[in-house]
Amino acid sequence: MAGSALRRLMAEYRQLTLNPPEGILAGPINEENFFEWEALITGPEGTCFEGGVFPAKLTFPPDYPLSPPKMQFTCDMFHPNIYSDGRVCISILHAPGDDPMGYESSAERWSPVQSVEKILLSVVSMLAEPNDESGANVDAAKMWRENRDEFYSIAEKIVRKTLGIPI
Amino acid sequence: MGDQAEGLTNNSSETNIESSGNQDELIMAQQRQIEKEISETIPLVGELEAITTLSSEYSTDEVYLSKIKDLVSKYSHIRRTRPDGNCFFRAFSYATLERLLGDKEEFIKFYKLAENSKSILVELGFQQFTVEDFYDTYMEVLKRLADIDNVEAAKKELHTIFNEQGYSDYMVVYLRLLTSAQLQKEQDFYSCFIEGNRTVADFCHQEVEPMYKDSDHIHIMAACSALNTGVRVSYMDRGTGTTVTQHDLPEGCIPTVHLLYRPTHYDILYV
Repeated sequence: MAGSALRRLMAEYRQLTLNPPEGILAGPINEENFFEWEALITGPEGTCFEGGVFPAKLTFPPDYPLSPPKMQFTCDMFHPNIYSDGRVCISILHAPGDDPMGYESSAERWSPVQSVEKILLSVVSMLAEPNDESGANVDAAKMWRENRDEFYSIAEKIVRKTLGIPI
Repeated sequence: MGDQAEGLTNNSSETNIESSGNQDELIMAQQRQIEKEISETIPLVGELEAITTLSSEYSTDEVYLSKIKDLVSKYSHIRRTRPDGNCFFRAFSYATLERLLGDKEEFIKFYKLAENSKSILVELGFQQFTVEDFYDTYMEVLKRLADIDNVEAAKKELHTIFNEQGYSDYMVVYLRLLTSAQLQKEQDFYSCFIEGNRTVADFCHQEVEPMYKDSDHIHIMAACSALNTGVRVSYMDRGTGTTVTQHDLPEGCIPTVHLLYRPTHYDILYV
Protein backbone atom coordinates (compact mmCIF):
# COMPACT_ATOMS: atom_id res chain seq x y z
CA MET A 1 0.00 0.00 0.00
CA ALA A 2 2.48 2.62 -1.17
CA GLY A 3 -0.59 4.87 -1.43
CA SER A 4 -1.00 4.74 2.36
CA ALA A 5 2.64 5.63 2.93
CA LEU A 6 2.25 8.62 0.61
CA ARG A 7 -0.97 9.75 2.34
CA ARG A 8 0.71 9.54 5.73
CA LEU A 9 3.83 11.42 4.57
CA MET A 10 1.67 14.18 3.12
CA ALA A 11 -0.21 14.45 6.43
CA GLU A 12 3.07 14.65 8.33
CA TYR A 13 4.40 17.31 5.98
CA ARG A 14 1.23 19.35 6.46
CA GLN A 15 1.50 18.96 10.23
CA LEU A 16 5.16 20.05 10.24
CA THR A 17 4.39 23.07 8.07
CA LEU A 18 1.43 24.21 10.18
CA ASN A 19 3.09 23.59 13.55
CA PRO A 20 6.82 23.59 13.00
CA PRO A 21 8.79 22.57 16.10
CA GLU A 22 11.36 25.18 17.11
CA GLY A 23 14.65 24.94 15.25
CA ILE A 24 13.50 22.29 12.80
CA LEU A 25 12.57 22.50 9.12
CA ALA A 26 11.68 19.37 7.15
CA GLY A 27 9.97 18.39 3.93
CA PRO A 28 10.30 16.51 0.66
CA ILE A 29 13.30 17.55 -1.44
CA ASN A 30 11.04 17.50 -4.48
CA GLU A 31 7.26 17.30 -4.24
CA GLU A 32 7.28 14.67 -7.00
CA ASN A 33 8.87 12.23 -4.57
CA PHE A 34 7.58 12.21 -0.99
CA PHE A 35 9.90 9.35 0.03
CA GLU A 36 13.05 11.52 0.16
CA TRP A 37 13.07 14.42 2.60
CA GLU A 38 15.56 17.03 3.61
CA ALA A 39 15.71 18.37 7.16
CA LEU A 40 17.52 21.35 8.63
CA ILE A 41 18.25 21.09 12.32
CA THR A 42 19.49 23.98 14.42
CA GLY A 43 22.05 23.08 17.06
CA PRO A 44 20.38 23.24 20.49
CA GLU A 45 21.08 26.34 22.57
CA GLY A 46 23.56 26.05 25.38
CA THR A 47 25.36 23.10 23.75
CA CYS A 48 28.54 22.92 21.70
CA PHE A 49 26.42 22.61 18.55
CA GLU A 50 24.57 25.91 19.24
CA GLY A 51 24.26 28.16 16.20
CA GLY A 52 24.95 25.43 13.64
CA VAL A 53 22.41 24.56 10.96
CA PHE A 54 22.79 20.89 10.09
CA PRO A 55 21.29 19.47 6.89
CA ALA A 56 20.17 15.83 6.79
CA LYS A 57 18.41 13.46 4.44
CA LEU A 58 15.51 11.19 5.43
CA THR A 59 14.68 8.14 3.30
CA PHE A 60 11.31 6.46 3.81
CA PRO A 61 10.57 2.78 3.02
CA PRO A 62 7.51 1.87 0.88
CA ASP A 63 5.78 0.40 3.96
CA TYR A 64 6.24 3.56 6.07
CA PRO A 65 5.05 3.99 8.86
CA LEU A 66 5.13 0.24 9.58
CA SER A 67 8.92 0.49 9.21
CA PRO A 68 11.02 3.52 10.18
CA PRO A 69 12.90 5.85 7.80
CA LYS A 70 16.68 6.14 7.66
CA MET A 71 18.40 9.40 8.47
CA GLN A 72 21.79 10.68 7.37
CA PHE A 73 23.44 14.06 7.92
CA THR A 74 24.82 15.48 4.70
CA CYS A 75 27.28 17.85 6.38
CA ASP A 76 30.44 17.00 8.32
CA MET A 77 29.51 15.62 11.74
CA PHE A 78 31.49 14.42 14.71
CA HIS A 79 29.25 12.90 17.33
CA PRO A 80 29.15 9.60 19.31
CA ASN A 81 25.78 8.57 17.82
CA ILE A 82 26.46 9.49 14.19
CA TYR A 83 28.57 7.28 11.89
CA SER A 84 31.35 9.12 10.09
CA ASP A 85 29.31 8.90 6.87
CA GLY A 86 26.52 10.85 8.59
CA ARG A 87 24.08 8.01 9.32
CA VAL A 88 22.19 8.60 12.55
CA CYS A 89 22.06 5.76 15.05
CA ILE A 90 19.39 6.29 17.71
CA SER A 91 16.84 3.94 19.21
CA ILE A 92 13.72 5.58 17.74
CA LEU A 93 14.99 4.70 14.24
CA HIS A 94 14.89 1.00 15.14
CA ALA A 95 12.03 -1.36 15.92
CA PRO A 96 12.35 -3.20 19.25
CA GLY A 97 14.59 -6.24 18.94
CA ASP A 98 16.43 -4.64 16.03
CA ASP A 99 19.34 -3.20 17.92
CA PRO A 100 22.91 -3.27 16.77
CA MET A 101 23.81 -0.92 19.62
CA GLY A 102 22.10 -2.74 22.50
CA TYR A 103 19.94 0.22 23.45
CA GLU A 104 18.46 0.34 26.93
CA SER A 105 15.14 -1.46 27.15
CA SER A 106 13.45 1.77 28.20
CA ALA A 107 14.64 3.63 25.11
CA GLU A 108 12.06 4.95 22.68
CA ARG A 109 11.50 2.64 19.69
CA TRP A 110 9.91 2.88 16.29
CA SER A 111 6.22 2.07 15.95
CA PRO A 112 3.58 3.20 13.44
CA VAL A 113 2.41 5.95 15.83
CA GLN A 114 5.82 7.60 15.97
CA SER A 115 6.47 10.37 13.44
CA VAL A 116 9.08 12.41 11.59
CA GLU A 117 8.61 15.13 14.17
CA LYS A 118 9.35 12.72 17.06
CA ILE A 119 12.48 11.50 15.25
CA LEU A 120 13.77 15.03 14.68
CA LEU A 121 13.09 16.02 18.29
CA SER A 122 15.02 12.91 19.41
CA VAL A 123 17.88 13.94 17.15
CA VAL A 124 17.93 17.42 18.73
CA SER A 125 18.19 15.87 22.20
CA MET A 126 20.84 13.49 20.91
CA LEU A 127 22.90 16.53 19.79
CA ALA A 128 22.44 18.07 23.22
CA GLU A 129 23.17 14.89 25.15
CA PRO A 130 25.30 12.33 23.32
CA ASN A 131 24.89 8.76 24.49
CA ASP A 132 28.45 7.45 24.76
CA GLU A 133 27.23 3.95 25.70
CA SER A 134 26.14 3.17 22.17
CA GLY A 135 28.92 4.61 20.07
CA ALA A 136 28.37 4.66 16.32
CA ASN A 137 31.56 6.74 16.16
CA VAL A 138 33.90 5.26 18.77
CA ASP A 139 36.48 8.03 18.38
CA ALA A 140 33.87 10.69 19.05
CA ALA A 141 32.50 8.72 22.02
CA LYS A 142 36.01 8.36 23.47
CA MET A 143 36.81 12.04 23.01
CA TRP A 144 33.45 13.10 24.50
CA ARG A 145 34.29 11.00 27.55
CA GLU A 146 37.97 11.77 27.95
CA ASN A 147 38.75 15.08 26.30
CA ARG A 148 35.69 17.30 26.36
CA ASP A 149 37.61 20.46 25.36
CA GLU A 150 38.93 18.92 22.18
CA PHE A 151 35.41 17.64 21.39
CA TYR A 152 34.06 21.19 21.83
CA SER A 153 36.68 22.64 19.53
CA ILE A 154 35.88 20.12 16.77
CA ALA A 155 32.15 20.84 17.28
CA GLU A 156 32.84 24.55 16.91
CA LYS A 157 34.64 23.98 13.60
CA ILE A 158 31.71 21.91 12.36
CA VAL A 159 29.25 24.61 13.40
CA ARG A 160 31.27 27.31 11.59
CA LYS A 161 31.50 25.13 8.50
CA THR A 162 27.71 24.68 8.34
CA LEU A 163 27.37 28.48 8.42
CA GLY A 164 30.05 29.03 5.79
CA ILE A 165 32.22 30.98 8.26
CA PRO A 166 35.97 30.52 7.68
CA ILE A 167 37.44 28.20 10.33
CA MET B 1 38.15 -7.09 17.69
CA GLY B 2 37.95 -4.43 20.40
CA ASP B 3 41.49 -5.32 21.54
CA GLN B 4 42.91 -5.08 18.06
CA ALA B 5 41.37 -1.71 17.40
CA GLU B 6 43.07 -0.19 20.48
CA GLY B 7 46.53 0.16 18.98
CA LEU B 8 45.47 1.35 15.54
CA THR B 9 45.80 4.88 14.25
CA ASN B 10 42.77 7.12 14.04
CA ASN B 11 42.24 6.55 10.38
CA SER B 12 42.24 2.80 10.25
CA SER B 13 40.25 2.45 13.46
CA GLU B 14 37.62 4.61 11.85
CA THR B 15 37.44 2.19 8.92
CA ASN B 16 37.07 -0.54 11.47
CA ILE B 17 34.21 1.18 13.24
CA GLU B 18 32.51 1.78 9.97
CA SER B 19 32.74 -1.82 8.90
CA SER B 20 31.55 -3.06 12.28
CA GLY B 21 28.58 -0.73 12.08
CA ASN B 22 27.81 -1.91 8.60
CA GLN B 23 28.27 -5.52 9.60
CA ASP B 24 25.64 -5.22 12.31
CA GLU B 25 23.26 -3.79 9.77
CA LEU B 26 24.14 -6.47 7.24
CA ILE B 27 23.49 -9.21 9.79
CA MET B 28 20.14 -7.64 10.69
CA ALA B 29 19.24 -7.29 7.04
CA GLN B 30 20.14 -10.90 6.38
CA GLN B 31 18.15 -12.08 9.39
CA ARG B 32 15.14 -10.10 8.20
CA GLN B 33 15.53 -11.56 4.71
CA ILE B 34 15.56 -15.13 6.08
CA GLU B 35 12.53 -14.49 8.28
CA LYS B 36 10.76 -12.91 5.33
CA GLU B 37 11.46 -15.87 3.06
CA ILE B 38 10.20 -18.37 5.62
CA SER B 39 7.09 -16.43 6.48
CA GLU B 40 6.15 -15.65 2.89
CA THR B 41 5.74 -19.33 2.08
CA ILE B 42 2.79 -19.30 4.52
CA PRO B 43 -0.31 -17.22 3.65
CA LEU B 44 -1.18 -14.37 6.04
CA VAL B 45 -4.38 -16.28 6.84
CA GLY B 46 -4.79 -19.77 5.39
CA GLU B 47 -7.77 -21.81 4.20
CA LEU B 48 -9.86 -23.94 6.57
CA GLU B 49 -8.15 -27.31 7.15
CA ALA B 50 -9.28 -30.41 9.02
CA ILE B 51 -7.90 -30.42 12.56
CA THR B 52 -6.43 -33.89 11.92
CA THR B 53 -3.88 -32.34 9.53
CA LEU B 54 -1.96 -31.26 12.64
CA SER B 55 -0.86 -34.87 13.26
CA SER B 56 1.32 -34.92 10.16
CA GLU B 57 3.51 -32.18 11.69
CA TYR B 58 4.30 -34.36 14.70
CA SER B 59 4.28 -37.91 13.35
CA THR B 60 6.88 -39.17 15.83
CA ASP B 61 6.17 -37.01 18.85
CA GLU B 62 4.07 -38.95 21.38
CA VAL B 63 3.42 -35.96 23.64
CA TYR B 64 2.04 -33.85 20.82
CA LEU B 65 0.14 -36.74 19.25
CA SER B 66 -1.81 -37.43 22.43
CA LYS B 67 -2.59 -33.74 22.81
CA ILE B 68 -3.72 -33.52 19.19
CA LYS B 69 -6.07 -36.44 19.90
CA ASP B 70 -7.57 -34.37 22.71
CA LEU B 71 -7.82 -31.34 20.40
CA VAL B 72 -9.55 -33.42 17.70
CA SER B 73 -12.23 -34.37 20.24
CA LYS B 74 -12.95 -30.66 20.81
CA TYR B 75 -12.42 -29.02 17.41
CA SER B 76 -13.10 -29.90 13.79
CA HIS B 77 -11.00 -27.36 11.84
CA ILE B 78 -7.96 -25.12 12.03
CA ARG B 79 -7.00 -22.01 10.07
CA ARG B 80 -3.27 -21.31 10.11
CA THR B 81 -1.77 -17.83 10.18
CA ARG B 82 1.65 -16.55 9.12
CA PRO B 83 4.20 -16.74 11.96
CA ASP B 84 5.45 -13.15 11.69
CA GLY B 85 4.98 -11.91 15.25
CA ASN B 86 1.58 -10.46 14.35
CA CYS B 87 -0.20 -13.83 14.42
CA PHE B 88 -2.26 -13.24 17.56
CA PHE B 89 -3.57 -9.89 16.38
CA ARG B 90 -4.24 -11.13 12.85
CA ALA B 91 -5.91 -14.35 14.03
CA PHE B 92 -8.01 -12.64 16.69
CA SER B 93 -9.12 -9.87 14.37
CA TYR B 94 -10.04 -12.31 11.59
CA ALA B 95 -11.87 -14.76 13.86
CA THR B 96 -13.83 -11.98 15.57
CA LEU B 97 -15.01 -10.48 12.29
CA GLU B 98 -15.74 -13.90 10.77
CA ARG B 99 -18.07 -14.71 13.65
CA LEU B 100 -19.76 -11.31 13.52
CA LEU B 101 -20.58 -11.77 9.83
CA GLY B 102 -23.06 -14.44 10.87
CA ASP B 103 -24.76 -12.19 13.44
CA LYS B 104 -26.10 -8.90 12.03
CA GLU B 105 -27.12 -7.45 15.38
CA GLU B 106 -23.74 -8.11 17.00
CA PHE B 107 -22.00 -6.76 13.89
CA ILE B 108 -23.84 -3.44 14.19
CA LYS B 109 -22.87 -3.18 17.87
CA PHE B 110 -19.26 -3.90 16.97
CA TYR B 111 -19.36 -1.33 14.17
CA LYS B 112 -20.48 1.36 16.63
CA LEU B 113 -17.75 0.38 19.10
CA ALA B 114 -15.15 0.68 16.33
CA GLU B 115 -16.61 3.96 15.07
CA ASN B 116 -16.15 5.59 18.48
CA SER B 117 -12.69 4.22 19.07
CA LYS B 118 -10.65 6.92 17.34
CA SER B 119 -11.72 9.64 19.75
CA ILE B 120 -10.71 7.39 22.65
CA LEU B 121 -7.24 7.01 21.16
CA VAL B 122 -6.90 10.75 20.64
CA GLU B 123 -8.08 11.44 24.20
CA LEU B 124 -5.37 9.09 25.43
CA GLY B 125 -2.76 11.24 23.70
CA PHE B 126 -2.21 9.48 20.37
CA GLN B 127 -1.61 12.13 17.70
CA GLN B 128 -4.60 12.25 15.38
CA PHE B 129 -2.60 12.12 12.14
CA THR B 130 -0.75 8.98 13.29
CA VAL B 131 -3.93 6.96 13.98
CA GLU B 132 -6.12 8.32 11.18
CA ASP B 133 -5.03 6.05 8.30
CA PHE B 134 -5.30 2.90 10.42
CA TYR B 135 -8.74 3.91 11.68
CA ASP B 136 -9.93 4.80 8.18
CA THR B 137 -8.75 1.46 6.80
CA TYR B 138 -10.39 -0.42 9.67
CA MET B 139 -13.72 1.34 9.11
CA GLU B 140 -13.45 0.92 5.32
CA VAL B 141 -13.07 -2.84 5.78
CA LEU B 142 -16.05 -3.00 8.18
CA LYS B 143 -18.16 -1.03 5.70
CA ARG B 144 -17.16 -3.26 2.80
CA LEU B 145 -18.18 -6.32 4.82
CA ALA B 146 -21.42 -4.77 6.02
CA ASP B 147 -22.45 -4.03 2.44
CA ILE B 148 -22.43 -7.71 1.48
CA ASP B 149 -25.75 -9.40 2.30
CA ASN B 150 -24.76 -12.98 1.63
CA VAL B 151 -22.82 -14.35 4.63
CA GLU B 152 -20.67 -16.73 2.61
CA ALA B 153 -19.76 -13.98 0.12
CA ALA B 154 -18.85 -11.67 3.02
CA LYS B 155 -16.62 -14.36 4.54
CA LYS B 156 -14.90 -14.76 1.21
CA GLU B 157 -14.30 -11.01 1.03
CA LEU B 158 -12.91 -11.05 4.59
CA HIS B 159 -10.47 -13.77 3.55
CA THR B 160 -9.37 -11.80 0.49
CA ILE B 161 -8.88 -8.61 2.52
CA PHE B 162 -6.84 -10.36 5.21
CA ASN B 163 -4.52 -11.81 2.58
CA GLU B 164 -3.77 -8.43 1.02
CA GLN B 165 -0.64 -7.39 2.89
CA GLY B 166 -1.50 -3.69 3.02
CA TYR B 167 -5.04 -4.06 4.38
CA SER B 168 -4.12 -6.99 6.59
CA ASP B 169 -1.24 -5.15 8.25
CA TYR B 170 -3.32 -2.01 8.79
CA MET B 171 -5.99 -4.14 10.51
CA VAL B 172 -3.21 -5.54 12.73
CA VAL B 173 -1.88 -2.07 13.58
CA TYR B 174 -5.31 -0.79 14.52
CA LEU B 175 -5.98 -3.71 16.85
CA ARG B 176 -2.55 -3.13 18.39
CA LEU B 177 -3.52 0.50 19.02
CA LEU B 178 -6.89 -0.45 20.52
CA THR B 179 -5.08 -2.96 22.75
CA SER B 180 -2.57 -0.32 23.81
CA ALA B 181 -5.44 2.07 24.59
CA GLN B 182 -7.18 -0.56 26.70
CA LEU B 183 -3.99 -1.23 28.69
CA GLN B 184 -3.47 2.47 29.29
CA LYS B 185 -7.10 3.11 30.23
CA GLU B 186 -6.92 0.41 32.90
CA GLN B 187 -3.30 0.83 33.84
CA ASP B 188 -3.85 0.34 37.58
CA PHE B 189 -5.04 -3.18 36.87
CA TYR B 190 -2.54 -4.11 34.16
CA SER B 191 0.53 -2.64 35.85
CA CYS B 192 0.68 -5.71 38.16
CA PHE B 193 1.35 -7.93 35.14
CA ILE B 194 4.33 -5.93 33.85
CA GLU B 195 7.76 -7.01 35.00
CA GLY B 196 10.60 -4.63 35.79
CA ASN B 197 10.35 -0.89 36.18
CA ARG B 198 8.43 -0.19 33.02
CA THR B 199 5.24 1.85 33.15
CA VAL B 200 2.17 0.59 31.28
CA ALA B 201 2.74 3.32 28.68
CA ASP B 202 6.39 2.25 28.16
CA PHE B 203 5.25 -1.35 27.82
CA CYS B 204 2.70 -0.33 25.18
CA HIS B 205 5.25 1.70 23.19
CA GLN B 206 7.75 -1.17 23.20
CA GLU B 207 5.71 -4.38 23.21
CA VAL B 208 2.24 -3.58 21.84
CA GLU B 209 2.36 -0.76 19.28
CA PRO B 210 5.36 -1.88 17.16
CA MET B 211 4.62 -4.38 14.39
CA TYR B 212 5.99 -7.94 14.58
CA LYS B 213 6.23 -7.96 18.40
CA ASP B 214 4.89 -11.23 19.81
CA SER B 215 1.87 -11.26 22.09
CA ASP B 216 1.61 -12.48 25.65
CA HIS B 217 -1.25 -13.20 28.03
CA ILE B 218 -1.54 -9.50 28.87
CA HIS B 219 -1.98 -8.51 25.19
CA ILE B 220 -4.79 -11.06 24.85
CA MET B 221 -6.58 -9.90 27.99
CA ALA B 222 -6.53 -6.29 26.81
CA ALA B 223 -7.47 -7.10 23.19
CA CYS B 224 -10.46 -9.16 24.39
CA SER B 225 -11.65 -6.35 26.54
CA ALA B 226 -11.07 -3.77 23.78
CA LEU B 227 -13.20 -5.74 21.29
CA ASN B 228 -15.61 -6.94 23.97
CA THR B 229 -15.04 -10.52 22.84
CA GLY B 230 -14.38 -13.70 24.82
CA VAL B 231 -11.66 -16.06 23.63
CA ARG B 232 -10.69 -19.63 24.53
CA VAL B 233 -7.00 -20.40 24.04
CA SER B 234 -5.89 -24.05 23.87
CA TYR B 235 -2.24 -24.33 24.89
CA MET B 236 -0.32 -27.16 23.27
CA ASP B 237 3.36 -27.69 24.14
CA ARG B 238 5.72 -30.49 25.16
CA GLY B 239 4.81 -30.11 28.84
CA THR B 240 3.45 -33.02 30.88
CA GLY B 241 -0.09 -34.31 30.45
CA THR B 242 -2.02 -35.79 27.56
CA THR B 243 -4.56 -33.02 27.10
CA VAL B 244 -4.32 -29.41 25.94
CA THR B 245 -4.71 -26.74 28.64
CA GLN B 246 -7.54 -24.30 27.98
CA HIS B 247 -7.94 -20.77 29.27
CA ASP B 248 -10.96 -18.52 28.77
CA LEU B 249 -10.30 -14.81 28.60
CA PRO B 250 -11.79 -12.91 30.25
CA GLU B 251 -12.23 -15.59 32.88
CA GLY B 252 -15.75 -17.01 33.01
CA CYS B 253 -16.76 -15.64 29.59
CA ILE B 254 -18.64 -17.55 26.93
CA PRO B 255 -15.88 -17.75 24.31
CA THR B 256 -16.81 -16.90 20.73
CA VAL B 257 -13.28 -17.06 19.33
CA HIS B 258 -11.06 -20.12 19.69
CA LEU B 259 -7.30 -20.03 19.25
CA LEU B 260 -4.59 -22.66 19.34
CA TYR B 261 -1.31 -21.65 20.96
CA ARG B 262 1.87 -23.52 20.25
CA PRO B 263 5.04 -21.91 21.65
CA THR B 264 5.37 -18.47 19.99
CA HIS B 265 2.46 -18.97 17.58
CA TYR B 266 -1.36 -18.63 17.35
CA ASP B 267 -3.76 -20.25 14.85
CA ILE B 268 -7.58 -20.15 14.69
CA LEU B 269 -9.68 -23.16 15.80
CA TYR B 270 -13.25 -24.08 14.82
CA VAL B 271 -15.64 -26.15 16.95
